[in-house]
Order: sequence, then structure tokens, then C-alpha cells
Amino acid sequence: MRLLLSSLFYKSPFENLQKHADKVRECARLFKQAAVFHLRGESAKFEETTDQVARLESEADAIKRNIRNHLPKGILMQVDKFQFLQYVREQDKVLDEVEEALFWLSFRPRGIPAEVSQDFEDLVEAAIPPIEKLSDLVAMATVFFRAGSKEQRTRMKSLVNDIRQHEKESDILERDLKLKIFATLKDEPLMVFHLVRFVEIVGNISDHAQNAADRMRAMVAK
Amino acid sequence: MDTLILSIATLVGLYMAVNIGANDLANAMGTSVGSCAITLKEAVVISIIANALGATLAGGYVTGTISKGIIDPSLLAGDPNRLMIGMFASLLAAGLWVNLATYFALPVSTSQAIVGAVVGFGILSVGASAVTWSKIIIIVVSWITSPAVGGLLGGGLYYLIEKRMMSATDPLRASRRYAPFMIFVVFLVLILSFIFKGLKNLHLNVGFLQTFLLAIPVSMAAAVAGSWWVRRQARPECELRPGQEAFSPLDRLFAQLQVLTACYVAFAHGANDVANAVGPLAAIFSVVTTKAVALKVEVPIWMLLGGGIAVGGGLLAFGTRVMETIGKNITELTPMRGFCAQFGAATTILICSRLGLPISTTHVLVGSVVGIGIMRGMGTLDLRVLKNIGLSWLVTLPFTILLSMLLYELFVFFLL
Repeated sequence: MRLLLSSLFYKSPFENLQKHADKVRECARLFKQAAVFHLRGESAKFEETTDQVARLESEADAIKRNIRNHLPKGILMQVDKFQFLQYVREQDKVLDEVEEALFWLSFRPRGIPAEVSQDFEDLVEAAIPPIEKLSDLVAMATVFFRAGSKEQRTRMKSLVNDIRQHEKESDILERDLKLKIFATLKDEPLMVFHLVRFVEIVGNISDHAQNAADRMRAMVAK
Repeated sequence: MDTLILSIATLVGLYMAVNIGANDLANAMGTSVGSCAITLKEAVVISIIANALGATLAGGYVTGTISKGIIDPSLLAGDPNRLMIGMFASLLAAGLWVNLATYFALPVSTSQAIVGAVVGFGILSVGASAVTWSKIIIIVVSWITSPAVGGLLGGGLYYLIEKRMMSATDPLRASRRYAPFMIFVVFLVLILSFIFKGLKNLHLNVGFLQTFLLAIPVSMAAAVAGSWWVRRQARPECELRPGQEAFSPLDRLFAQLQVLTACYVAFAHGANDVANAVGPLAAIFSVVTTKAVALKVEVPIWMLLGGGIAVGGGLLAFGTRVMETIGKNITELTPMRGFCAQFGAATTILICSRLGLPISTTHVLVGSVVGIGIMRGMGTLDLRVLKNIGLSWLVTLPFTILLSMLLYELFVFFLL
């Protein structure tokens, strides 16, 4: 038996969004591990972790499709559906870029020279907090859209600001590292290409995390 | 033979009552359970007691309502058996429709189902020209007025509370500041509703001004006592969603207020809707025992009480799942929003019945929920379901008219 008044209510897509955000968070953790394995030259462990990320990515993709496929016309949401779907897109892109970064690393198993290894680690480290905060943001949004209070909204806004700040810091690291790569690895064009592209992909991770946070900011706009 | 007729009629009456409980009352109480203002058990206990009280205290003296003023029973004075069979067919037709609607998850009006069914047998027994068609026009108008006014009031109330109170920087202070005012308004509306709507069948003949003068000081006293009490109350965590963070002081206030509105809704339901099952049954009993057609039949108290309990039983047997689902699925239903839906509906019913506008509790509640949804308060609303609900409201009359005609013909053919 289907149920009366409750059939007026459609399943909230925020549940699935949280699941997706959790997958993204898990991938961020694995990304950091994989980068360390790569630096240490532990290629077996690196490959294993990359596979795990690829598996998580396809699971997250399924969740993303589920969210998109179950928001037909005629569903009235608390937030602008367009903004919401844009958010999903950006959050998913974070994951795509993490996967892409690992794949790109795997093409040159011993591709990180000692001169830049510390900067490389710092850059990866800086990419993690915005991703983790994204999952916190979704958790807050779920509560906010259920029983929204002004206090909750303020907390969300400050979290969005944090993510923006992280992105800025990551941008600076990205620029510095590129400068260093060009300065120190003058005679190794292949390595420069490989490293610069990797740095750009990692930069994209934070960019997409910030885009997602901006979409969330738009959703809680008064 | 008489005993057999009476037993079968009682069974059909019970069937209708159980269906009313499962469809009508479950929806009306669902918002309270959904928002965790009351637990599932409390909802069932409140429903059974308040519903039975409403039916016995205020649901009696059903005068014209047995045939809903749609046909004049005296036209059938020469043939009491036809009235009896007609009432029987009506009861069964309406019961089947409400059962079907419950199965397909459609909140339909049980009163309108009974009206349709009586019209059906009326057309066959006394002729289409003897049917009071203006009643039907009134119902058609109510399809528009009920949800529209319910939506406006529910949505407006939500907007006001959200803007004024929920966005306050210090919810504790806001709750202290607004609690007396909220309690006052709720008591005022409930007392007025109680007297004009709940007890309308008692024909107390009190003037609006008199009632108002009585209601204001009572509500003021309640506001003072209530706000003191609300400050002391703490509510355990939500039964259906364990681990959900504790209510904010404001939500606690609305949860307490919702207990009141829930009691009122159950009482008003007992007063007005139990008659839908019991009225036709009383007519059948009257025909069987007196062998004559009475213009007005007084419904015995035991029948009202039984009807009230059967409706509560229907809620217990088939309605708990409805309420539980509302509670589990609609995570956006906070005490504040649940209160807006229920109180918006109660106020709409009061205002509209004072203005003489036709109204249906179910329709008002649907309108109220959608109104709050449009103000972005109810999470994800499936507007496509609205189309089905609208369709079911339109189909109620033709379906019950035709079904009761069919059943009437069949009974006349086999029994007379």
C-alpha cells in the first residue's frame, strides 16, 4: 500500500548528496596515501590505492546519476534545482580530478625528483582540507534545510569562506611550485611537462571544491 | 431477519468507520507524529480518546445529516425498506471508495463520498428532480476554496514564524518572547473552533461576540500558565529518528502547541466525521425497529461511541503505518512546520465555516502542506502527486454516485 499524505513528499536528494560527499572525502584520504606511496616508490601499494580510488569514483558516479535521474520536472525543492545540480556537478568533478591526478602520476612511476618532493607533498596536503570540508558542508546543509536556523546558516557561510581560503593557499603553492619546477629542472622537458600538468590537476581539485562551496553559498542565499 | 439485517448493517458501518480512521484521521494526526511532537503511541491514544469524546459529546443530534439533506426521507415514507436498502448501499459504496482511495494513497473526503453515495440512491429511489443539487455545487466549490485558503493560511503562518522567530539570533529569548503570544492565539482559535465547529451539532446558540468575550480571558490565562509550563518542559529525543538533535527551545514550544492542535483535530474529527459512518447506520436501525421512515433520527450514544472507537481502531490497525512513514520519510517536517500545517488547517476550517464556505478537512490539510512547501518549508514536494489527488477529488462524486446506484439496484433486485 502506498501511503497517503506522505506520497506528496519526494525523497530528499540531500541523503544521496551526503553519500556522494562521503565518497569524495574517502577518495581525498586515499589520494594523500597514494601520493606518499608514489614518492617512496612503493608502486604496488600505489597501484592498489589508485584502483581503490577508481572503484570509489565509479560508485560515486552511480550516486550522482541517481541524484540526477530522480529529480524530474514537477518536484518542488527548497533550493533552486539548477543550483543544486550545479553543486552535484562540481562535487563530482573534485573526484574526477583526484582520479585523473593519480592516473597521471602512474604514467611515470619514478617521476618526482628529490628537489621538489617536499613541495609536492605540501601541495597534495593542501588539496585535502577543502575536500573534507565539502562533506561537512553537505551535512550542515541537510540540517539547515530541515530545521534551518540563522546560526546554522552563519556556520555554513564561514565554512564556505574557509574553503575559499584553502583554495587561495593552494593557488599560491601551485604557482610557487611551477616556478620552482621551471627553475630547477631546466634540462628535463619530459619531467617538467609531467610535473606541471600534475600540479595543474591538483590545483583544479581545489578549484572545483571552491566552485561547489560557492554553489552552496548561493543555495543558502536569502 | 431483522437481526441479520442489523448485524450486516453494523458490519458495513464498522467497515466505513475503520476506513475513515485509516484515511482521514491518519493524515490529520500524521503531521504531529512526523514532526516528533508526539509519539506514535501517544497519537493513537489521543486519537481514540478525543475521537470517541468528540463523537459522543458533540457528534450526536445528527438531524438532517442522516441523508445529508440531499433527499427528503419523507418521500420514501410509504416504503421504509427502500430507505433502508438505500442507506445500506450508500454506506457500502462510500466505504468501498474510501478503501480504494486509501489503497492508492489518495486523501479523499469521506463526507463527500457519503454525499455522492446518497445522491446515487436518491436518483433511483425518489428521482433526480428530488435531489438537492445545490449541495453538489457547494462541494465542487469546496475543491477550490479548501486547498486555496488552507494553502494561504498555512504558507502565510510559516512565512511569519520563519521570518519573525526562527531567524532570531537568540532562539531561547525569542521563544520566551513569543510563547505567550503563540499560546494565546492557539487557545483562541481552538476555543472558537471547539464551540462553533466541534460543538455545532449541540446547537448551543451562543453569539459570536459572547464566545469571543469568553475565549479571550481563557486564552490569556492559558498563555500565562502555558508559557510557564513550556519553559519547564524537556522533550526526549525523537522516537522515529533516534539521534536527531534535541529540539531547540522554539521547536519545543511548537511541539507542545502541536499536542493541543492534535487533540483538537481528533476531537473535531470525531464530532463531524464519525457521523458519516454512523448516520446511515442509525437510519437503518430506525427503519428496522420502528418499521417507519422518520424525518429525523436521533443517533444513540452507544452507536456514536462505537463509531468513535471504530475510527480510532481503524487508525490503530491501518493508520500507524501511514503515520510512521510520514515520520520517517519527511525529515523536513519539524515541529514548527507540522504546527503550521495543522494549525493553518484548523484556522482555515474555523474561518471558512464561520463565513459559510464549504470546506473539507482533508482538502484543507493538503492545501496547507502544499502552501508551506511553496514557501520552501516542506523539502521536496512532488507536485505530480497533486494532480492525482485533484483527480481523486473529482472522481469521488461520480464514482460513489454510480457505485451506490449499482449496489442499490442489486439489493432491490435480490431483496425486495
